[in-house]
Amino acid sequence: MIPELGQGALVVGIVLAVYGAIAAAAGAQTGRPALIESAQRAALAVFALVTACFLLLAYAFLTFDFSVRYVAHQTTLSTPFYYRVTAVWGALEGSILLWAWMLALYTLIVVLRHRGERDLYPWALSVMLGIIAFFLLVMTLPAPPFERLTPVPADGRGLNPLLEDTGMITHPVALYLGFTGFTVPFAFAMAALVTGRVGDAWITTTRRWTIVAWYFLSLGLLIGGWWSYHVLGWGGYWAWDPVENAAFMPWLTGTALLHSAMIQERRRMLKLWNISLVILTFGLTIFGTFLTRSGVIASVHAFSQGSIGAFFLAFLGLVLLVAFGGLAWRWDRLTAQGELDSILSRESAFLLNNVFLVAAAFTVFFGTVFPLLSEAIRGVKVSVGAPFFNQVNVPLFLSLIFLMGVGPLIAWRRASIDNLKRNFLGPVAIGLVAAAVLHLVGVRSTLAVLTLALALFAAATIALDVLRGTRARLRTGAGLARAVTGLLLRHNRRYGGFVIHLGILLVALGVTGSQAWSVQTEATLKRGQAVEVAGYRFRFEGLSATQESTHARVVGTFAVSRGGGAPIVMRPSKKFYRQEQAPIAGVDYRMGLTEDLYLVLGDFARDGSAATVKVLVNRLVSWIWIGGLVLTLGALLAIVPDDRAA
Amino acid sequence: MTTNQNTKFLVGGAVIVLALAYLIYTGVTQSAVYFITPSELAAAAVAGKAYRLGGMVVPGSVHWNPASLDLEFALTDGKGRVPVRHTGTPPDLFGEGRGAVVEGSWTPEGYFKATLIMAKHSENYQAPHGDPSSAAYEEMIRALQRRAPR
Amino acid sequence: MWRWLIPLSVVPVLGLLAYGFRVNPRDIPSPLVGRPAAPFVLRTFDGRDVSLESLRGRVVVLNFWASWCYPACYEEAPALERSWRAYRGREVSVVGVAIQDQPDAARKFIADFSLSFPNAPDPDGKVSVDYGVYGVPETFFIDRAGRIRRKQTGAVSDDLFRREVEKLLGEPA
Repeated sequence: MIPELGQGALVVGIVLAVYGAIAAAAGAQTGRPALIESAQRAALAVFALVTACFLLLAYAFLTFDFSVRYVAHQTTLSTPFYYRVTAVWGALEGSILLWAWMLALYTLIVVLRHRGERDLYPWALSVMLGIIAFFLLVMTLPAPPFERLTPVPADGRGLNPLLEDTGMITHPVALYLGFTGFTVPFAFAMAALVTGRVGDAWITTTRRWTIVAWYFLSLGLLIGGWWSYHVLGWGGYWAWDPVENAAFMPWLTGTALLHSAMIQERRRMLKLWNISLVILTFGLTIFGTFLTRSGVIASVHAFSQGSIGAFFLAFLGLVLLVAFGGLAWRWDRLTAQGELDSILSRESAFLLNNVFLVAAAFTVFFGTVFPLLSEAIRGVKVSVGAPFFNQVNVPLFLSLIFLMGVGPLIAWRRASIDNLKRNFLGPVAIGLVAAAVLHLVGVRSTLAVLTLALALFAAATIALDVLRGTRARLRTGAGLARAVTGLLLRHNRRYGGFVIHLGILLVALGVTGSQAWSVQTEATLKRGQAVEVAGYRFRFEGLSATQESTHARVVGTFAVSRGGGAPIVMRPSKKFYRQEQAPIAGVDYRMGLTEDLYLVLGDFARDGSAATVKVLVNRLVSWIWIGGLVLTLGALLAIVPDDRAA
Repeated sequence: MTTNQNTKFLVGGAVIVLALAYLIYTGVTQSAVYFITPSELAAAAVAGKAYRLGGMVVPGSVHWNPASLDLEFALTDGKGRVPVRHTGTPPDLFGEGRGAVVEGSWTPEGYFKATLIMAKHSENYQAPHGDPSSAAYEEMIRALQRRAPR
Repeated sequence: MWRWLIPLSVVPVLGLLAYGFRVNPRDIPSPLVGRPAAPFVLRTFDGRDVSLESLRGRVVVLNFWASWCYPACYEEAPALERSWRAYRGREVSVVGVAIQDQPDAARKFIADFSLSFPNAPDPDGKVSVDYGVYGVPETFFIDRAGRIRRKQTGAVSDDLFRREVEKLLGEPA
């Protein structure tokens, strides 16, 4: 009964979404408010229906309704309560449902905030409902969450054990909030194209939406990295896997959009560019889903294949052709009115930042589809791996860090020599001194020196600006604490941006440190034997085994000591799941500000007398996660309502 | 925009595009990995070139030394046969008579030096429960449990 | 007019992505394809004998499955039964081999899906070793001359069955 209810709700949802999209468009075209109000009610109903679907599916999970294929696939009778809830979005069908639900939620918020407006909003509503209709359609045909299974199995297959982790629960939620968030700016941009009001209205309306979407996408990427680091057991957090690239590309173009939108607001430039960026970003979110779900590109992440790829490809084609077609149609109105005065100006720094970000997105795209490209053109299967992505992107990212220092302080329009001296003499000096000091203390990696010096330069410009602002406020007689908080809150957008920059710099610090200074080794140890890595002694104490609700676990015990200090015990393990072909690594790690200890249990003698262990000492990795926290603070600061406007 | 400025931007843009093209070109030539089968490799192996080699692990060819972490085996596609060496623990899915994909390069000494052995699994496909390695594991887990950890 | 190049430039990218559907990046070719199929003699669950020799001249679809193989074997079982019925009058035989399965569980599986083609256990695992089976489901399409022509890893669909079998039926014995 429950599955049929859910299925029914989906079908009604499609009908209402399509109706709402048409009604909103017709209302906008004819100027009849009744039609738009009807569309709004449809949006509300769609939200209610998708929410109901979500609850029904969750209910099926909680009651072990194995007559539902998706439930049987994702749980077993031994799956704990917690993971039965999160298993709802643990695989394809549920994740599409989550996606649709978030879209419906965003649409609801848009309705609540903008109802009564007549310019762009009705068209934007129409576009959003149309996109929801597509996702609901996907759920009725290629990825039906409520499909029945006959005969009903006595027990289900169970969630992929790699997903039994808090990181994997929050990761898709954050990522999808990011992906779906970009639908709103896209919808308003489409509305701008349709109505021909391609001025700044759509940019200012969606500014906060873009930040929110960008923030969730960043968070999703970071949580994904965290999951990869502490679950997958290869010691890294980013592998340039197609699935990761799929989320990274819209992040890059979204970041470009955040910056170039400021130029349009300020100087009325780059209209065409901004619309293109928003189309590209939204297109890339759809492309990402296509890539991960179609099986077109091989990935270490195992995902199902099927007709869903064709659905997403068709939708992607429709979106891109219509959107870029609209762009060409409105070409004359989109060509810029403002113009660039000088190469030495904030505009050009931002422009350059955009060029580099889009270039990075392009290289990631190119590398990801390269196997297809080479097979289609030359008939040979060739792929490019992490070295390609690193090699091409490192210069781009270094340039971006440099621009991160330059952009916020250089003058608009045309920077004078005086302005440059006043703002950059100090930071450049700090960067150079840092490089010299790093070299003197024995850092031999040119790349590490360069990155850290550039990061310090960028941090110094931020510090300089905050210092100046605070000093100005202190002069008015305020106390130090009040001066700083006042500064941050009064110019929250500017300083929110700065805090986000600091977060990114910390992430860069962590990435540099882990790439340049991490060490690892692999050794087979008999009981009582030890291996030394980076001043630590890892002694193998023995193996034990335990039976847990969903799996059996073989645990290796290692005593880890440094110098004469008291040893700590680390227990890396291997988990044997009934439904899996291969055991799964249970990493044990100790995090620290300067280094993480990270143990992975490898092969072992069947009698427990010896074990192979992989020992990693990863440097500065924690700063990546700290950077993520700083980034969160910055994003919060940037989206609190402007108190100048209040 | 003045013509002078236009030229400046065209030149600037061209420089950036060319630099990017150069980066991508060198990146691809240096890190391209060719997908190949054992018989194709046996027919035309270029030493030093990066390959991804897929085939079946020849039964009886696996020699694994846990102390030195040296792993040796041969891959076949029914026609060609390629000796492979690797340093490190074989992945859990690895086994004789099973498919394996390795990444690495051909050495002048006449063997394939693998830097990576891949164990991919698909969610619609399961290894038998009774397969020798997992049966051994189950046995061992029971033995380790009987001994009860301290 | 140049502006219309922007939307048009999307087309080759889409074409490339669509091309991706034609190639399977996960394919590892089986060394057995093109070789003579290993002979087998099996005693089915209902006590009849079936051997490859007795099926010579017919197209044989040899399917390895197990009752614990969820979901793929559960997905393909109805498709196999449907296809077997559809091709009953033609020179096609479907043989199921349950590997490493409890006899009771395997019988229940056969009953649940009302499988009417011959299904047999592989008690000593000899047949699955001969065919290099390392997971379930795996399906081998054997031509009239007794050569393995295709190995399918993962569930068989109605479409795939029809395509492969029609091809092999079209060939002279």
